[in-house]
Amino acid sequence: MTLRSGSAKSRLLKNKLARYFITLGGVGVLFTLVFIFLYLLYVIKPIFDDVEVDALASILVNNDSTSQVNHTNSSIAFIGLDEYQQVAYQVRQNGQIDFYQLVDSDFHRSGTNILSSSLAGNEPLAVNNNPVVDIVRSANNKFALLNSDGQVNLVDVKFISRYLADSQEIQPRLDYPIGKQGFDLVPNQAKVELFSYATEQGRSRFVTLTSDKRLVVTTISKKQKQKQKQKQKQPAAGITALNIRYHELAKEVNADQLLITPDLSLAIVRDHNLVSVYRLNDLAERRQMLNESSESNTASILSSENSAAVELSADIERYNREFLHSQFQPFSSLTDKANISAMSLLSGSSSILFGSSKGEVSQWFEVMTSRGRVFKEIRQFDVGDNAIVAIYPELFRKSFFTLDSEQDLGIFYTTSEADLWRGKVAQQTSLAIAISPRADALLVSELSEQGGSQLTLFSVDNQHPEITWRALWQRVWYEDYPEPAYVWQSSSGSDEFEAKFSLVPISFGTIKAAFYAMIFAIPIAITAAIYTAYFMPSKLRRKVKPTIEMMEALPTVILGFLAGLWLAPIIEQYLAAVLLLLIILPITVLLVAFGWHKLPKDWKLMLPESWSPLILIPFIILVSVFAFKFSSTFEAWFFAGDMRLYVTEYLGIDYDQRNALVIGIAMGFAVIPTIFSIAEDAIFSVPKHLTSGALALGATPWQTLITVVLLTASPGIFSAIMMGLGRAVGETMIVLMATGNTPILDWNMLQGMRTLAANIAIEMPESEVGSSHYRVLFLAAFVLFVFTFIFNTLAELIRQRLRDKYSSL
Amino acid sequence: MNSANSVSITAANSTTANATEQIALEIDKLNLFYGEKQVLRDISMSIPKGQVTAFIGPSGCGKSTLLRCINRMNDLVDDCRVEGKINLYGDNIYHRHVDVAALRRRVGMVFQTPNPFPKSIYENVIYGLRITGEKNRRVLDQVVEKSLRSAALWDEVKDRLHESALGLSGGQQQRLVIARAIAIEPEILLLDEPTSALDPISTLTIEELINDLKKQFTVVIVTHNMQQAARVSDQTAFMYMGDLIEYSDTNTLFTTPVKKQTEDYITGRYG
Repeated sequence: MTLRSGSAKSRLLKNKLARYFITLGGVGVLFTLVFIFLYLLYVIKPIFDDVEVDALASILVNNDSTSQVNHTNSSIAFIGLDEYQQVAYQVRQNGQIDFYQLVDSDFHRSGTNILSSSLAGNEPLAVNNNPVVDIVRSANNKFALLNSDGQVNLVDVKFISRYLADSQEIQPRLDYPIGKQGFDLVPNQAKVELFSYATEQGRSRFVTLTSDKRLVVTTISKKQKQKQKQKQKQPAAGITALNIRYHELAKEVNADQLLITPDLSLAIVRDHNLVSVYRLNDLAERRQMLNESSESNTASILSSENSAAVELSADIERYNREFLHSQFQPFSSLTDKANISAMSLLSGSSSILFGSSKGEVSQWFEVMTSRGRVFKEIRQFDVGDNAIVAIYPELFRKSFFTLDSEQDLGIFYTTSEADLWRGKVAQQTSLAIAISPRADALLVSELSEQGGSQLTLFSVDNQHPEITWRALWQRVWYEDYPEPAYVWQSSSGSDEFEAKFSLVPISFGTIKAAFYAMIFAIPIAITAAIYTAYFMPSKLRRKVKPTIEMMEALPTVILGFLAGLWLAPIIEQYLAAVLLLLIILPITVLLVAFGWHKLPKDWKLMLPESWSPLILIPFIILVSVFAFKFSSTFEAWFFAGDMRLYVTEYLGIDYDQRNALVIGIAMGFAVIPTIFSIAEDAIFSVPKHLTSGALALGATPWQTLITVVLLTASPGIFSAIMMGLGRAVGETMIVLMATGNTPILDWNMLQGMRTLAANIAIEMPESEVGSSHYRVLFLAAFVLFVFTFIFNTLAELIRQRLRDKYSSL
Repeated sequence: MNSANSVSITAANSTTANATEQIALEIDKLNLFYGEKQVLRDISMSIPKGQVTAFIGPSGCGKSTLLRCINRMNDLVDDCRVEGKINLYGDNIYHRHVDVAALRRRVGMVFQTPNPFPKSIYENVIYGLRITGEKNRRVLDQVVEKSLRSAALWDEVKDRLHESALGLSGGQQQRLVIARAIAIEPEILLLDEPTSALDPISTLTIEELINDLKKQFTVVIVTHNMQQAARVSDQTAFMYMGDLIEYSDTNTLFTTPVKKQTEDYITGRYG
């Protein structure tokens, strides 16, 4: 009795253990799946988060307690801040620059004026001892100061960060890239009405409108390279020699606003609603030309810290023609005539943004057309009903901030056409707005009630403005593209590059690769499965089936390697032969089978029935050898000697060595065992009594196969195809190695593609964690996940329906 | 050999037909091997036309194998080798020029488990005609009604001919399969334990059906149920271990068996 109860207890325990173990396993699998899914979503989610703007700190400056000089008579021209959002600066029209600590640190209390333009006192900067009358800022936050004599000097605002113990100190500094000596902005002491400035890699360019309505371009570059730092610390050591060159672009010009693109290639002149664009990038060539003839238009200044040896022989070479590139009128198409109320350059030298008095912002850039490069309106943003007062572009991204007459701020992203944020940041009239270099903060200067000005720092959480559903899945008109397009290009060598994240080409690539693989694999795998399960003697079947299934264990990296390095060149060399084989192999098989059928019975009986397919082997070899041997002859007859050349030159089809044909064969090869194995099982497991039933009714084996066996096995065969498709969609190594990985949208069999899986494999190692690129790659993974999920669900649904309909008993 | 110059046994020789008018099948010294194993040993018997002949015997005695020889279903088994002759109205069905598919149209067969195809009732019945290319709707409709009436199924299914045959009960399925077999009007109908998977009431229906069928067809039935053999058959053959032990008309075999093995079997001493 005790023994029996004991064994019952241990049995109970085993039951329990088994139950818990299996439950744990099942729940674990489910949990892991859900976890992967959630983690993907967690990484993707920030892409679609809303922009948030929050006030961080606010300081009062220039009120009575801190005022020392006559700042009130000069208005604030610009404000700015360092990339760590510690120090803000304020630039006045008279050249005075003040730096303020924004937040409390170990070194300065917030609101402290830590540096002023002149270290001695709060003196405004001066150029050649004459007071500054105007100041302009380049796109990369460098300043040009103009004095009352028409002379100009350059000032850079720099921030040096120092780490002491745990805290960081930001030290502002003013640099003089060409020394403290100014030079004439325009020759012959002409009066300056308006001017604009841009600088790039040691070269600076000014566009100036003189009071006698001439448009003059001034280009300066350093003759001698020298470190500014050394020069400033050791005044006597270095002398900066400058090349100054003047060009007159046009006469009789009226202008309200001038701009130069940061790459110094275009000058944009706005006269009310008329915008004229002048091309400046061939000035350099002209100089070459002119240097040979005369040096007359070149002025050289040797400037140093204290003394200047100026030798100036300026004579303007006049070019009235050819510089004017295009003229256009934004907003002219609007029915209610709107005026341009703001104009700004978008980061990256290509786009111009116009704000209208009716609250629209319009983006224009040059587009290649049949008539050459033409400025076109690309898109419009509807900001509101109030006039746009100012447009502030970000330093690196294609975002811009708008400020309208009601002090409403709007944040937009051009390429993705995203309307990101609207709101108010200033209570009073805001004087200026600055965006931090990393675009993660906003500095607003407004009049304070106490009489001075108030600087308010806002954090801007706007990490992925360029990614929207629209940008991911629809045609987007990128800068320098002739038309809207689906583009995937995540990186480039240039800093001004804008990443293009359209998932369409890579999703398309995935489907294309799978499509060609399936075209190759389905006929072979299914017919092989039918033959093996239904016609093959069971002894042979027992050997053949495991052999084909073993192919599945072949690492796909080997297949990809073979496809990319061995098969692709062969196909390229024998393109005609390969395409010929695709056609004549099936025909040969059918012809041989037909011939065999027509042979006298006595001949046929010489070979056991189940071995008759062996007859095919010599024919297949013969035909293949024939195709390759006569490939060149064949090409000579039909394709002018070289099919590959013929295809590219006469048919106009691009040929990539690693193309969909190679992928079809290689990935088809990888997918065949999957489809074969499942389909074979399905066909083999069709109940014998069904086939017997059909045969007993006088059906031939073929009739039985088609009318009964395939019908009954159809759910299984369908499953097999879907499993194969799932494998082809998710396959990585083969497509990585043999597609060429060019993300193009083209069904052409002779061109490559890039698939989602390969794209993730290629780019994940080089993407910065947390960047838009990184998150889009996770999104690509998620799309892949959804693809396979849809395929499998669909497959399962259809399979269930087929099974209900056709499965037997 | 009468049909030596004929490829098909369908071309029956009229003189032979006269001579063997009452004999549908003549099995002559039939030996059957599965690989090395001999399953049937020197079977010789004649099966009369228009009667029901039953094969009885314990499991594994070879009665089903013998039945399958008559429409050459054993060809599907690997390693199966047949020696001897089976003459269908005088033509040897094991001649190598025989078209097996055509033979099976003359010798229909119904299996132990009902095996309707996963198609509609209608499509099941006309399957044999479909594969020969019959497309005339009227002909097909007529055949369906006639066959289902002959199989005593018409009244039960006439309103749902186009529903799946898999929705029928086991007994109905088996009658459907019989209807399917007789739709192509075979000369001989082989029934391989047709009621073994059915309930008693369905069994009874099928047995009554068999009685009707013999007016039209020569029926050969394999059964392990001796009562059934006694009820439905005119001739009974008792087989044991691959040998034909005794073959006579049913009454004689069950009342006065000649062989001791037969008597032992029918009195229930083994099997």
